[in-house]
Parts: sequence; structure tokens; C-alpha cells
Amino acid sequence: MVNEGRFLPTMDLLRSEPMQLVQLIIPIESAHRSISYLGDLGLIQFKDLNADKSPFQRTYASQIKRCGEMARRLRLFKEQMTKAGVSPSTWSTRDNHFDLEHLEVKLEELEAELLEINANNEKLQHTYNELLEYKLVLEKVGEFFSSAKNKAVAQQKELEFQTTVEGSIDSPLLLEQEETTTKQIKLRFISGLVHREKSIPFERIIFRATRGNVFLKQAVIQHPVLDPLSGEKVHKNVFVVFYSGERVKSKILKICDAFGANRYPFSDDLSKQFQTIREVSGRLSELKTTIDAGLIHRSTLLQTIGYHYEQWSLQLKKEKSIYHTLNMLSINVTKKCLLAEGWCPVFATSQIHKVLERATMDCSSQVGAIFQVLETKESPPTYFSTNKFTSSFQEIVDAYGIAKYQEANPGVYTIVTFPFLFAVMFGDWGHGICLLLAALYLIIREKKFASQKLGDIMEMAFGGRYIIMLMALFSIYTGLIYNEFFSVPFELFGPSAYGCRDSSCRDASTTGFIKVRSTYPFGVDPKWHGTRSELPFLNSLKMKMSILLGVSQMNLGIIMSYFNAKYFENNINIWYQFVPQIIFLNSLFGYLSLLIIIKWSTGSQADLYHVMIYMFLSPTDDLGENQLFVGQKLLQLVLLLLALVAVPWMLVPKPFLLKKQHQERHQGQSYDLLYGTDDPLESESQSIPHDEFDFSEVFVHQLIHTIEFVLGAVSNTASYLRLWALSLAHSELSSVFYDKVLLLAWGYNSTIVLIVGIFVFICATVGVLLLMESLSAFLHALRLHWVEYQNKFYEGDGYKFFPFSFTLLTDEDEL
Amino acid sequence: MGFLVTTLIFVVIGIIACLCTRICCNRGPSANLFHLTLVITATICCWMMWAIVYLAQMKPLIVPILNEGE
Repeated sequence: MVNEGRFLPTMDLLRSEPMQLVQLIIPIESAHRSISYLGDLGLIQFKDLNADKSPFQRTYASQIKRCGEMARRLRLFKEQMTKAGVSPSTWSTRDNHFDLEHLEVKLEELEAELLEINANNEKLQHTYNELLEYKLVLEKVGEFFSSAKNKAVAQQKELEFQTTVEGSIDSPLLLEQEETTTKQIKLRFISGLVHREKSIPFERIIFRATRGNVFLKQAVIQHPVLDPLSGEKVHKNVFVVFYSGERVKSKILKICDAFGANRYPFSDDLSKQFQTIREVSGRLSELKTTIDAGLIHRSTLLQTIGYHYEQWSLQLKKEKSIYHTLNMLSINVTKKCLLAEGWCPVFATSQIHKVLERATMDCSSQVGAIFQVLETKESPPTYFSTNKFTSSFQEIVDAYGIAKYQEANPGVYTIVTFPFLFAVMFGDWGHGICLLLAALYLIIREKKFASQKLGDIMEMAFGGRYIIMLMALFSIYTGLIYNEFFSVPFELFGPSAYGCRDSSCRDASTTGFIKVRSTYPFGVDPKWHGTRSELPFLNSLKMKMSILLGVSQMNLGIIMSYFNAKYFENNINIWYQFVPQIIFLNSLFGYLSLLIIIKWSTGSQADLYHVMIYMFLSPTDDLGENQLFVGQKLLQLVLLLLALVAVPWMLVPKPFLLKKQHQERHQGQSYDLLYGTDDPLESESQSIPHDEFDFSEVFVHQLIHTIEFVLGAVSNTASYLRLWALSLAHSELSSVFYDKVLLLAWGYNSTIVLIVGIFVFICATVGVLLLMESLSAFLHALRLHWVEYQNKFYEGDGYKFFPFSFTLLTDEDEL
Repeated sequence: MGFLVTTLIFVVIGIIACLCTRICCNRGPSANLFHLTLVITATICCWMMWAIVYLAQMKPLIVPILNEGE
């Protein structure tokens, strides 16, 4: 363990929590409850001691299978509830807590009952649909026969009339009539329903198969009919086929089957027709009542399930995760104890003790669980205990990389510097106030939103509400500094320092104002706004500001690397990494910052651009008009030499010192071996696993690192100029919207135009400046922190502490 | 001279903010040190921002020049 608190007092969030590898020996009878309580606690990350085993070889594979079966049942319930329009109750009763066996039995019973109800309902529905079709057939075919009968009667009367008129040829007509009557007696018919889209091919095929010796009639049913087989609504036709002979009948039956046409019996006796219709109608209403009762029963059952669904789901998730965790544990030979290993924070030791004792008592176990701390050389996971305020900032850092164990956490300073750099780019106190109102709305509605399911974007905004609040506060501050309220300046802190040369003000647009008073005390002087020289002045100001802020933050990063090296007692990194880096950065860019400040203080007209260039190109030449202070040439020479020395200082010594260190360790090992020749066991125990030292690899790594730092110093300083670029873009866009939209609309002296102008201004301000610009500034501030700042000291090659916790489970897991 | 006075004002405000944070959010030495760090960092950032703009305007090389016809 590293010495903590020896040099520095401990500070929240700067170092990850001290972690320890612990070993638990838990009796079998209390294992389940112990793991359950540890899941509630959420402070142990278990190691998988059975990583070599397949899922089916593990101790609790059968229990997990049972959980899977129960999960399937719950999914079935969910599906049925969704179909029936029943929603699970959000207020779930927590009074009765089933154990796994009871839950399994209950779910099994409910599933059987539900399946039975569904099967019964399906059967009844099928019968109901068939009867419905039968009723339709009865009605339509009845109509056929009625109309046919009427036609026959009319025809018969006509025939009789002809016979009376033509008495001379009575004999031949009577004979023919008798023959026709004889044929009619032999006809049969088949009735049913066929799909409408199949009706025409159905008719055609029947006609061909019987060589035209049938009579087929169809009628359209206006409303869709529920098909008994598929259960779907289908458009159908009622058909009736008249035929004679058995062979024709068998053909027609086959064709009906092929076309999926349902056939229903029909009597040509009128009285029987009426009787059958009455019977079918009666049975239909009876079945309807039964079906409705069944549906009510099903709905009641689903609602009962719905009351408990959430509770059961949650409990099942817990049980499943418990068994997965138990599968990570190693069972000992006697099968009486489970062995567990895991990481936990040091501060959680007493809590874990209490939890294990409680589990032992609740199970009435005779033997308590054993809890002990193990020594290990493994790197522990990284755990920062954050609150709702600091967690979002920590996530910004973690997105770049998880800190190595006990590495200095950039999140500490990020809490302030991130919103500050955002505000440097976004500065406008009108926009800052809008942002603050949005953030306060999210913070005030915190409890309500926390328990809701928000959309993706809203979820992100809610998660970052404290970041947004700080960004807004800092934006108001930098907005006051830039003196912009929706791009409009005000004289908030006193009168402008600039005035006219004389009372007539004729020179204001040619030579300009002169400074007649002391400097404007807070922020940019309001007189600059709208003038021709506004942009040159602000550009110069903001570029230099970017350099100063950038060099400051980079220096902070390098100082953090000193604290890391100090903490891990790495003297090599202090003297051969931190020191030359500080020297190099400040010899060049620190000096540039100093020149900026001197220029501002003295009002010199020196060109810093040329000063820096000729510091390298011709360091021994006279500075001439670019001299800012006495002895500048000598200082520049010294700084240049320091920078040149710092580079090999960074590059060369560290690999050699590491090599020497490794050799010393190796020699120490040899001495141990020599001493231990008498006792082979002791000699064996002292042997340290050999790690290869590849000098060329270490040297190349150091070379890359040095080049990266040297070039990075240049490119990272240039990268900070984005602060100026974003700030300029924001300011100019804001000005354009104000001048070209609002003032232009005002100039028309029309109320309607003014209202339209205000509306467009509001939309442009919210859509472009508050949403797009703030997102842009956010991303650039993120980049400056991840690359320019964290690059100086942050390794970020750790892994996150991921404890076994039911809270995490509820949010993430899905059945 | 105005520079030094306002810098002193920033220092005073920073000290007052530290004391207020200490009084209002006292949660153990570790957390207090954390809060102190945050307050000092914020104060330095704000001061730096103000100082940069103030210094830039102390002895300007250019002056505001109105546009024609204004």
C-alpha cells in the first residue's frame, strides 16, 4: 500500500478510495442470504474464482435455469397483459415477500391457469365463429331458395297458360313436362363460405371439373367475417352448388377443401330452416355470454398478476444476480463452505462485518462467516465516492479514461475549470441567465425527474444539470466581463474611459476617441461596441487571453504530475520528467505570457510575434524597437539554452536510471538465492517472478513521450486559441441577430413587423445561440480538458470499481 | 492603482467565500479541503479573467473609432 496522508492531508475526490482485496469464507446455509445482504450494501466487487468453468459446470447452474424459466413466465405475463391492455401496477405491495420456491410454485400455477383460460377462450371463440358463419349461410341460402321458388311458381303458371291456349298439341307438351319434373327431383346441393378473392377461381374450377353440369350461385357478405381457423377478419362470399350424382359430389368436396371453403348443412324444408336459425341464434347468444365471462375472468387474473408483477420481476432479478454471484465463489472440498474473493473500499470493512453477522443470525447458522484482508500486488479497481453534484464532472473525466488506482484525479479542478472555460467561449450574461433558468428548472424538479423515464436528450440534460448551472453562473460572470447582454453593452460599473477630443466630437469617426478617465473598472469598456476598431481590439485581447489561460492550465497539469510522482514516491519522474517539463514549457510559452503582461503594462508597441521568432532565428541580434525591458536579450538567451537542455534532460536519463534500478533489483534477488542455498523451500518462496527489461523498448517509449511533449507544447498552446475563436463567433452571431433582426424590425414602426421580429429573434437566440453554440462550447471545453490538460499528467489506465449491487441491477438489467 | 485595489477586493471576497463554505458545508477535514480547493480555484479563475481584460485596457494601442455617418 502506498503511504497515504504522510505528505499531504487527504482531500475528497483527489485520490480514489483506498481499496483492499478481501476473502470471505461463508457457510453454505447462510451463503444465499449473505450475498443478498451484500447486494443491498453494494460495496464489494467479486472476483470470478471459477473463470475456467463453463456456465453449466457451475454450482448453481440449475438455480439459474429455474430463474430463467420463471423469467420466461413473467415475460409471458407481460405479453398477455400488454395484449389485454392491463398495465403493471406501479405501486407494488411489498408486504409479502416470497422465497424462491414459493414464487416458482405460484408462477407455475398462474401460468397453468392463464394457459387454460386462454385455451378455453380460444375454443369457445372458434365455435362461436363457426356458428356465426353457419347463421350467415342459413340466411343467404334461404334467400336463394325463396327467390328460386317464386320463379318456379311463375314459370309453372306460364306453362299451364300455354297448354290451355294450344289444345291441339296437348300430348307432346305434357310428356316433356313430366320428364323435366322427374329430373328435378334428383338434384342435391352443398352450401358454405369461401374467401372473396378466391371465389372466381373457385367457381371456374368447379365448372370445369364437372364439365358444366352444376349450378353455382354466390352472394357477397357486406361485413368481414372472423375466420374460425385463423381468427382474422376476412371478406367472404356465401355459395351454394347444385349437382347430381355421387362422383360429382366427391369432386366438389375436394375442391371445397382445396380452397379452404367451410361447408355447412342446409335443409330445403322451410320449417326446418326456421327451426335451425332459431337454434343457432340461441346457441350464439349463449356462447357470447360464456365468452364474455371468460374474458372477464382472464382480465381479473391479469390484473392480479399486474399488482405483483413489478415486485416479482425485481425479486427475480435479484435472485438471478445472487446465483450468478454465488457461481463466482469457490466451493471447498467438504461442500460446507463457499470461498469468495473481491475488492471493497477500506471504509466499508465495518459495514461488511455487520452485514455478514446479520446474515448469520437471520439464518440461525452455527458458524459465522470469516472475513479477512489479503495482501496482493494486483492493481485495485478505482472507486471515487461522488455525490449528485460531483458525479457528472467525474463522468466527464471517466469518459476519457478511468484513473489508475490512487492516481491524482483531474476531476477536482475540472469542477471549476470546465464550466469556466465554457464560459470564456460562451460569455454573455443575458444568455447566461437563460441557461441558469433552464438549469434551475431541472434542479427544482429534481425529485420528479429522477423517478421518470426521460428521453435520451432530456436524460443527458438532467444528468448534467449541475454542470449546466455552473456553466450558466460562470457565463453570467464572463458576460459581465465582456460587457454583453444579448450583445448589448451597458455602463454598469461607471462611465466609459473614452471621450471626445473636444466638445464638437468631429474627430470621433476619423481619429477616434481618447482616453480621458481611468480604466473602466470591470470588464470591457462599453464604448468599443459598434466601432470600427472593436474587432482588432477584441481579437488581440482574446488571443492573448487564450494564451494566458492555456499556459496556466497546462502548468497546473504538469504540477499535478508532480503530485502523482510524489505520491507514488517516484523520484525519477520528479527530477527527469516534471522538472524539465516545467522548464521547457515556461522557458518558451511562460515567457510569451510574461511578454504579453509586460506589453500591456507598459503600452509598448513591440511585436511579440517577431520577438518569439527571432528568439530562435537570431538570438544574439539586437532587439531594436521590439525590446520591452532591460536585459531582455540576455534573458532570452538563457531561456533558450534552458529549453534546449530540457529536451535531452527529459529524454536520456530516465531509461538508464530505470535500467540501473532493474539491475539492482535483479542483483538483490541473486543475493537472496545465495543466502538461501541451505533451505530450498525458503529460497523458492523468495523468488520473484522475472520481468524482462527491454532497454530499447523503454528508450523508444521515452523518445515518443518526449517528442509528444515538445511538439504538444506548441500545438496545445495553439489549441487554446479556440477560446478566442468560439468567443468571437458567439459575440458576432449575437450581434447579427440583435442588429439585423430586432433593430431592423423596430425601425419599421409597425406593431406586426415588431412582433414577427421579436419572435424570429427569440427563435434564433434559443435555437442557434443557446442550443447549438452552447453544445459547441461544451465540446471544445471538453477537448481542452481531455487533451491539453489531462495529457500532461493523466495515465487513465485503471479500471472502474463495479460492485455487486441491486441498485445498479434495477437500472440496467432486463428480464 | 485600480488594479491593486480590485485585486484586494477579489482576495477579500475569496476569503469570505472560503469562510462561508467552511461554516455552511462543514463535513470533515477531507471534504472541507476539497471545498476550499474549489473556492480558491474559482476565485483565481475569476480574478485572472478580470485582470486580463483590465490590463489589456490600461494602456491601449488603439482607441474606439466610430463608423462613418454615426
